[in-house]
Amino acid sequence: MSELVLHDDELDEDCYRVRLFLSLLGLEARRVAVDVVPGGAQDSPGFRAVSPAGLLPVLRIDGQMVCGAGGALLALAHGRPAWLPEVRADFARVAHWLQFAAGPLRATLLMRRACLFGGAGDGQSARRRAAVGALRIMEDHLVHRRLEGGAWFVGDGPTVADIALFPAAALCRDWGEEYSAYPALRRWVRAVRGLPGFVTMPGIPDYG
Amino acid sequence: MSGTCDGGWYPLMLSADLELGTVAGSTVLGRDLAVWRDGEGQAHVWDDRCPHRGMRLSLGFVREGALACLYHGWRFGVDGRCVHIPAHPDLSPPGTIRAAPLPVAECHGLVWASVEEDGSLPEGDPAMDAAAWVPVRSLRIEAPWQDVARAVGMPDGHRAAALDRDVEGRVLAALLPVREGACMLHLLAAASAGVERLHDLADWGQDVRARAEERAGQVFLAGVVA
Ligand code: FES
Repeated sequence: MSELVLHDDELDEDCYRVRLFLSLLGLEARRVAVDVVPGGAQDSPGFRAVSPAGLLPVLRIDGQMVCGAGGALLALAHGRPAWLPEVRADFARVAHWLQFAAGPLRATLLMRRACLFGGAGDGQSARRRAAVGALRIMEDHLVHRRLEGGAWFVGDGPTVADIALFPAAALCRDWGEEYSAYPALRRWVRAVRGLPGFVTMPGIPDYG
Repeated sequence: MSGTCDGGWYPLMLSADLELGTVAGSTVLGRDLAVWRDGEGQAHVWDDRCPHRGMRLSLGFVREGALACLYHGWRFGVDGRCVHIPAHPDLSPPGTIRAAPLPVAECHGLVWASVEEDGSLPEGDPAMDAAAWVPVRSLRIEAPWQDVARAVGMPDGHRAAALDRDVEGRVLAALLPVREGACMLHLLAAASAGVERLHDLADWGQDVRARAEERAGQVFLAGVVA
């Protein structure tokens, strides 16, 4: 593999998804910091030349630029059956959750950004309800997984789906959701934290 | 353990959800609690305020049989007394620095705490004592606990009861009033329920949640939002 490069914003949870996965895989990437808040560098001509739609992060892998967390995670998981199952039914399950992370789960990210960077929280907005609804879908799934003896979103071990979903659950306190409302998510967050190579980001405590 | 409202005992969480050497948060009637299990398996419930600067102990972690606060690392032993201050490792902390432990009981697969000072001790409830209980799940419901209690068929004035819902066996339902208009519903099945039955009960819980929240005018539908 040629040198990995990650265009990265320390405070952005999409970038954290990829940093976390790199660390769990034991890979190092050269990091290029993108100053999003307050710099707005994601819209600068220089960055748009790398990421035409302004998506963060950008991973360069085997000389190829991949823009956005979902794509970067997939590119890193390729050829690693433990993280991206080859059996089609399990692959389909992982694909389902990656799509969920890139779709309905965005509501949690938008809530968090609004609360951290946009002033006050926005009470019972449509966005907040959608964000809670998305976390509940994850909670309900993990409840059923646990009843059948599983601890992860798909199969017997962590997959790239768990990594794509993790920050939304781990960071929900930033927009006012308590872990106590999601006991299954809480146990799963703990399991992810226990993986060898786990790293945190600002907002996810480091127990040292 | 009496399922009635006497004695101030509240079902905080499923025992199974409090793993060895971990801490979780819980809220009873707006009062925030830290619930933790030491290395020996004993559960403890304290007010969720660090005696140092009032940060939340439920965000901390369990180390060497003590609950450690995330913020400055002060550690508190099972009796609530401060046992370690990292900034002053040689100091033996004065006994006046202590967290506030509440009376705790663990039975029927649940962790209970008494939040009223004169709370009487838990008493037996024959129907709840008659079975071993298998944890199904807990759900947060954004609706008044009394409404959920009625909806699941809880006897009047009870927060927990063994319900005869259907022919397939009994269900233990326990309700924790979190604050005005929000509660946690804990569900357990009488042993030895099969996996299918546990899945059905978990789904039933979701159904109870959806209906109660609809009555309360609270709907949480995931979807794509801007
Ligand atoms: S607030 Fe808990 S140690 Fe300082």
